[in-house]
Amino acid sequence: MKKLLLSSICALGAMTGSAMAQDCEIAFGSVLSLTGPNAAIGKAIGDAGQLAVDQFNEAGGAAGCKVRYVLRDDQGQPNVGVDAAKSLVEIDGSPVILGSIASGVTLPILTSVAVPAKVTQISCCSSAPSLTELAAEGGTDGLWFRTLPTSRPQGIVMATLAHEAGLKTMAIVYVNSDYGVGLARDFKEAFEKLGGTVSQMIAYNEQQPSYRVEVNAALQGEPEAMFLVAFPADGATVAREWISFGGSSKLYLSNAMRADEFVHAVGADILVDAVGIDNAQISGESVSSFDAAWEKRFGSAPNGPGLHTMYDATAVALLAMEKAGKPNGRAIADNIRTVTGGEGEVILPGVEGFTRAKQLVAENKPFTYVGATGPITFDANGDVNGPYLIWGVKDGKLTTIDTWDIPRVDAATAAIEK
Amino acid sequence: MLFQVLADGILTGSIIALGAIGLTLTMSVLRFPNFAHAELITFGAYIALAVLGLTGAFMGPLAPLSFGLPLILATVVAMAATAVLALLIDRLVYRKLRARSKKMTVVFGSFGVSLLVRMSILLVFGGAATYYSTALQRAIRVGGLFRVMPDQVFTLGLTIIIVVGLHLFLKFTRLGLAMRAYAENPQLVGIYGYDSERVLRWTWIIGAALAALAGVLYGLTVQIRPEIGFHLLLPLFAAAIMGGVGNVHGAVLGGLIVGLAESLSIYLIPPGYKMAVPFLLLLLILYLRPTGLFGSAKGAVR
Repeated sequence: MKKLLLSSICALGAMTGSAMAQDCEIAFGSVLSLTGPNAAIGKAIGDAGQLAVDQFNEAGGAAGCKVRYVLRDDQGQPNVGVDAAKSLVEIDGSPVILGSIASGVTLPILTSVAVPAKVTQISCCSSAPSLTELAAEGGTDGLWFRTLPTSRPQGIVMATLAHEAGLKTMAIVYVNSDYGVGLARDFKEAFEKLGGTVSQMIAYNEQQPSYRVEVNAALQGEPEAMFLVAFPADGATVAREWISFGGSSKLYLSNAMRADEFVHAVGADILVDAVGIDNAQISGESVSSFDAAWEKRFGSAPNGPGLHTMYDATAVALLAMEKAGKPNGRAIADNIRTVTGGEGEVILPGVEGFTRAKQLVAENKPFTYVGATGPITFDANGDVNGPYLIWGVKDGKLTTIDTWDIPRVDAATAAIEK
Repeated sequence: MLFQVLADGILTGSIIALGAIGLTLTMSVLRFPNFAHAELITFGAYIALAVLGLTGAFMGPLAPLSFGLPLILATVVAMAATAVLALLIDRLVYRKLRARSKKMTVVFGSFGVSLLVRMSILLVFGGAATYYSTALQRAIRVGGLFRVMPDQVFTLGLTIIIVVGLHLFLKFTRLGLAMRAYAENPQLVGIYGYDSERVLRWTWIIGAALAALAGVLYGLTVQIRPEIGFHLLLPLFAAAIMGGVGNVHGAVLGGLIVGLAESLSIYLIPPGYKMAVPFLLLLLILYLRPTGLFGSAKGAVR
């Protein structure tokens, strides 16, 4: 009885709420880890989604209706996540699933809920290359997107750099993990497309005192340079042994080695010809617009993983639904690339931006959303690119040599994909 | 490629051999597999590092080696300190367990000691990887066939000298003879009026000193981490058992075989899986020739 009363009060509340704006309501489902291994970051990520939905409602709702944000916990477990996603789609009727955090939860939701139910899924936080593979094989039916850059552009940028430096043969030594395997493969694919040859691809296991065998295997075929995908401590061992055994001083280093620990262990004088890559910090009007809104709402700076990407995942889905004009998963997926990365007026995060976007939709004019993570362009597999910086070692210190903004990364990616 | 792989295998094998000699000696004389032996290797490497930190680089390296007199001094200190640690562990743990419990209890005791030593090292020195010298040594090309580092050649040479020396010691000195006799029959040593405590003591001292030496030499060519000894545990046991417990020459050959097998395995399996090779060898040996390749009588020091 108490429950019934409670739900009727809720329904009443919802009705009065919608009565002010519209007469209908669309559920927007999100599956995140509020408990479990990612619990520490899960709640704040959920708040970022809520913020986007609230701002959109303030701007007048989406597709003619008020949007209700429904957040479910996956406990970091695939089966719980799938159940949560199922109930969001089947009971709440959500045309979208936002999430999850862990790739191991995101993937089963995608294959067993989003794709069969033809619902758009956008993740803020899953970076596994296996999701890109699934998309490339057609297993995601074009319904899958993520706002966190994968490691793929890193491989492409590094391959482009090596190609521009005139290198023809390279060896790849990589850490035997999802990250290492994916990045090594992306680099190899890009470098070979650019006309280079990968002489050896050698995986290594972490935490070994010596990688002499791996390094000597990588040295076969006299490669002109090495692409090393590693974490600082093991990376230092590999780099030292590589140089010791007569390897070229032209080292191409993945993002994790941008650490003073690495430079110190290897020796700065040995790294003068080395170049590395890392994600660049994004700044700009669209980013500060989100940061300000977050601070106003929650009273603290938006420091933490997944906040910017979750906000953008939600905002992009809402804009696409507005553009599609109906809460239909397929229609939303089809409109996601229309509202991002294209031509037209720039839309910034916030109530003002969303109001303007709704006007432009009504006038049937193009616009492009530039979000909390900066400009967003989803590629064919639903992945985004990010800006990168190229670092080197000068006078014993880590120095930024060059920066690659998103258009430059996009151009490099396009050159590989053509 | 083949020459490089062979050279690598022999050089890694020589370090495994050094550690395995100490292990095989203590295993046969003390009659239990000391799992803490690997930690003696780590301990030796870190003591040398600490001594080196105190003495500093008051002398440059002896070209073409990457180290100079300070490290040699540090090694001697490390060997002494490790021997003291081994005797201390024996006095505090093993002796008590030996006196009043079964053999397996001592084995489990050695696991406990192993953890204790490793964690103490982690506590004192931290978990970050370090080096004796951050200066990078470049390998020398030998006849266009393969590359070696001078330090590796030094290690190989030292191993050969130690094996010959140990052979002579066991064959011709009174203490060496007593150690061999004790391994065969402890009571008999007592009957002949030889102090068996002395035999045990010297077995610990020699085994620990060799472990410390192996640790320093290993640390010279790889990163020094609190797990370096632990990672050598399986290769050491594979080498010692392959050579036949108590067989010094067997341990050396076993070490070389394990080193070579690890190196050559890259022709068959990706390098990432080479850690499994000593394990497979150990299984094979235990299955086919449990007494070792040379079929030694059980527990004999040769």
